Amino acid sequence: MAKDHRAGSKVRGDRLPAILMASHLLEGDTVFLSDGGWTLDPTAAKIAHDAETAAVMEAEGKAAAAANTVIEPYLVPVDLTDDGLPVARHFRDAMRQKGPSIHPDMGKQAEFAPLD
Amino acid sequence: MTLIREEGAVKDRFTRADTLDAALEIDGPALVPLTIAADFAKARPGAEFGISVPGSTPIEDVRPHLGGATLVAVEFPAFADGRGFSLAKKIVREGFAGTLRASGPLIADEFADALACGFTEVELPETMANRQPVQQWLAARATMSEHYQTGYGRGPSILQKRLAARKGA
Amino acid sequence: MYRYDEFDERFVRERVAQFRGQVERRLDGSLSEDEFKPLRLKNGLYLQLHAYMLRIAVPYGTLNSAQLRQLAHIAETYDKGYGHFTTRQNLQFNWPKLKDVPDILGLLADVEMHCIQTSGNCIRNVTSDQFAGVARDEVEDPRPTAELIRQWSSLHPEFVWLPRKFKIAVTGAEHDRAAIKVHDIGLKLKRNEQGAVGYEVIVGGGLGRTPMIGKLVREFLPKDELLAYLEAVMRVYNSEGRRDNKFKARVKILVHETGEEEFRARVEEEYAKLDGPTINAPDEEVERIAAYFAPPAYDTLPEASQVLDQARAIDPELDRFVEQNAFEHKQPGYIALTISLKEIGAVPGDMSADQMRAFADVAERYSFDEFRVTHAQNLVLPHVKKDDLPAVHAALKAAGLASANAGLITDIIACPGLDYCALATAKSIPIAQAIAKTFADRERQKTIGELPIKISGCINACGHHHVGAIGILGLEKGGRENYQITVGGDATEHAALGERLGPGIDAEDVPAAIEAIVETYLAEKTGEESFIETVRRTGAEPFKAGFTAFVESRAVNSEAAE
Repeated sequence: MAKDHRAGSKVRGDRLPAILMASHLLEGDTVFLSDGGWTLDPTAAKIAHDAETAAVMEAEGKAAAAANTVIEPYLVPVDLTDDGLPVARHFRDAMRQKGPSIHPDMGKQAEFAPLD
Repeated sequence: MTLIREEGAVKDRFTRADTLDAALEIDGPALVPLTIAADFAKARPGAEFGISVPGSTPIEDVRPHLGGATLVAVEFPAFADGRGFSLAKKIVREGFAGTLRASGPLIADEFADALACGFTEVELPETMANRQPVQQWLAARATMSEHYQTGYGRGPSILQKRLAARKGA
Repeated sequence: MYRYDEFDERFVRERVAQFRGQVERRLDGSLSEDEFKPLRLKNGLYLQLHAYMLRIAVPYGTLNSAQLRQLAHIAETYDKGYGHFTTRQNLQFNWPKLKDVPDILGLLADVEMHCIQTSGNCIRNVTSDQFAGVARDEVEDPRPTAELIRQWSSLHPEFVWLPRKFKIAVTGAEHDRAAIKVHDIGLKLKRNEQGAVGYEVIVGGGLGRTPMIGKLVREFLPKDELLAYLEAVMRVYNSEGRRDNKFKARVKILVHETGEEEFRARVEEEYAKLDGPTINAPDEEVERIAAYFAPPAYDTLPEASQVLDQARAIDPELDRFVEQNAFEHKQPGYIALTISLKEIGAVPGDMSADQMRAFADVAERYSFDEFRVTHAQNLVLPHVKKDDLPAVHAALKAAGLASANAGLITDIIACPGLDYCALATAKSIPIAQAIAKTFADRERQKTIGELPIKISGCINACGHHHVGAIGILGLEKGGRENYQITVGGDATEHAALGERLGPGIDAEDVPAAIEAIVETYLAEKTGEESFIETVRRTGAEPFKAGFTAFVESRAVNSEAAE
């Protein structure tokens, strides 16, 4: 059922570029697939520019879920900033990249460099 | 299939058959769908058999067979589908004294509830039993030693124990 | 309030150990995520947008100071220093780690608390009137009934895998503050013509995707037959409730599709088969529980308090606070006091650990060590001496807990919405904050009077928008957040569902739209009518007209800007 709520799937138009987002099983934090495994840092997310890379990343996510490391990995369509950083195209995914809008002192926005 | 009772894994005496022809070829007790139970009983008078009923079955449909069958296997389509628990309560209420089996991909965490609702045993698909071996079922069953609900499980409920303690005092 | 005996104590301790084992079995792969998820939900643990969220049961909204201090400790040790009171009288932590949850449950058990069945497809934490045992219009205190149901429903072997969640509310008063008509089961304590106490039983109310007002299934159920009757209702629902479609799985749909008469007949048929005396709680047990809710040792006092009257005369802030937040107590010389967690600009229902400690001190000293959580995300000090009010007000003010807006337009209910919730389709809290800021002026609030606004960030309606005098529902439309507005909803004994005023609007337009609706009310009201009374009399039409005019003016403005 959770799949129904994944906002990334609602984004119209291009599915690429994309990043892979999930939740860490033991911690619950939002995590992103990077070149060196899973990262908490949204600016370090690996970006898929083509369908082949996206498919490989998705498979990596499924394997990590099967290995009980992460939960609900899914590809998130992004736009790139002038600095090449990935910003989710859907507001729900963007909220996950940042943290709660009502608490700028909490979540990713409090710990990592801003995406935009 | 793995068959688990309170005391651990046991051997299944019953053989499943989906059609009357298949059931008639079985040596020993057959486990047949509700729909062919009457025909089987007629074809094999006196032979021991069990019936398989989906958890969604109305008790009215099960009732006529409770006198003949020595086993009722309530089928759970999914572990989160609790209809089988209510059907078990209704079957027990009918006075059924045979073996009551919960069959399907149940999880160990439901074992105590299944027993409390009147099930005697759980029949698990092998994939489930591999992931949650019998030891986990026995351990899960023992995690909660008390229950509040009167009329479930074998021992007295917490409410009954409180009453007994007060009367004893 | 109720205190655990050795059985209750062992039960929650074993439950903690059980969950610890389930976490271990999840990590070693014995339990898949699909299997673990309902198990963790039945222990109040959700996975949200940024983190796990732990929902702690506050049975029928009753807490003491030791419990609140422990919650403050947990907030600081395992979370980010605050908690959030919900529309079901519970408390949520927004940032716990799965690995810490068993330890948190252990700390809760230390103060007789748990997270049992605060989520999942089972009988949820039972809710009640926040003024239970206090209100003058009460037939009988609903808390002993609620506590009995809490025990009976905890890990019920037959009813933990229901088609969908199941919520029970109990009230003992004439005026319904527990919203019993929009619960799966609503119970109202009443007296029959012979003077015996029993329950009116309402089944099949609910909000969510398909809001419905509950149907009366039993006019009078003798009090001692409660558990057997509940068992009959639950068995019919567990056996026959739909499991093919999650959105049609609540009992309200079963009642609706089966028909009221036929549903009642099925429940009564099942009930007739039950051996009631073997299921119902023994009288001694009912009395044992009830004894915990005996009135506290009140002082004998005159109704009026000179101390308070004099203090109010010289302190307008205190005067206003008492005028707005006090509720009449049945004991002379006492009042019940609503503590608004709706400071202008704050997050509705949030409380910091420091505030928890300060408030625990006040409750301990001035309210017999007891307080309540309301479904409006506020707190209540149930038994405050009028003589003590000036001191209580000063202590609350020092802790930032003296907002004099209980029931007013700035006392807004809002679900967590898209800021936290994985199901949300739109933000909810920022909308509440913006509206509260718009109406921050005290005199303006006073002029508008009682006006409950309720905001949900998705169709699931945790913010109860259907029963808000003004309801706001946030949805996603065309990749943007979009808000639908209703008026006329009511959760009380006059239960009614709100009527939509027109098309959805953008977030930034919501405060001005509310202003337009309020203007319509002020123009239409006669005499001392409250907002909801005016809507009840006029219907939604004048409000639709005002809203439509507002939407059109916005369209003109935005064209002009382009």
